[in-house]
Amino acid sequence: VNIIKSTESLHEILFLFLEVGLILGSLGVVILTNIVYSAFFLALVFVCISLLYLLLNADFVATAQILIYVGAINILIVFAVMLINKPQSFNFFPSWTTGDGITCAACTGLFFLLITTISDTSWSEIYLVTQSNNIVEQDLGGNIQRIGYLLLTEFLLPFELLSIILLVALIGAITVARREKILEMRVKSQALQAKED
Amino acid sequence: MLEHALNLGAYLFCIGIFGLITSRNMVRALMCLELLFNVVNINLVTFSNYFDTEQLKGEIFSIFVIVIAAAEAAIGLAIVLAIHRNRGSTRIDQLDLLKW
Repeated sequence: VNIIKSTESLHEILFLFLEVGLILGSLGVVILTNIVYSAFFLALVFVCISLLYLLLNADFVATAQILIYVGAINILIVFAVMLINKPQSFNFFPSWTTGDGITCAACTGLFFLLITTISDTSWSEIYLVTQSNNIVEQDLGGNIQRIGYLLLTEFLLPFELLSIILLVALIGAITVARREKILEMRVKSQALQAKED
Repeated sequence: MLEHALNLGAYLFCIGIFGLITSRNMVRALMCLELLFNVVNINLVTFSNYFDTEQLKGEIFSIFVIVIAAAEAAIGLAIVLAIHRNRGSTRIDQLDLLKW
């Protein structure tokens, strides 16, 4: 019992640290004027969320989060920020307009509504219902084995469609973002040759 | 701790929506959108941990959300680059070509 209680309190302490990191990081993403700082605070948010997944016994999703979000998506965002040159503004926080104030009030209202709904839900009843609905599966042992098994049996069609989505996204991003000067030069040279003939 | 994680998700969701609505830069809007995707993933993984330890359906759904968010970030940033190349600025309120 002592071991269980000490790991519970250790989980709570780590969770508090991650919560502080997430609160400050997300405020930094949204409020700071310099967008490079925002991109780095977003990396901090992604890393904190990955550690949160580790606390919630989701080791594969935590690894996937670090690899994909921090390693690919955040690098892509930093590239885009670097390629788009903007003039430097010297204040840290931007000036607020009226629309910003209205949105802040609406978002605060939404936050309090969500908090009230979460605290009003009886989670113990839902836990009992889900426990009674669960059929006892074979013990496959380990997180990754269970996810792999389910991805190849029950979720096979979404898995294959996901690979097609990635292919389409890759081709689409390259087509949208490439330079078209080579095509224009070829068209102009063909037009010049047609005039000479 | 379930309610703690859900409250954290609610807070990040509201900050993400606030950032998405009030950002004047396109890349910042895409960053807030990625934050929103992550909050949804936090909720899914939390529910999978506390209610579905046998089958981990929430974690599988969150893997799908991660992959689709990656694809969407790639295409969104390609569009932002194309717009910046053609118009020179990345302010959202100047993107009104499709307005009536």
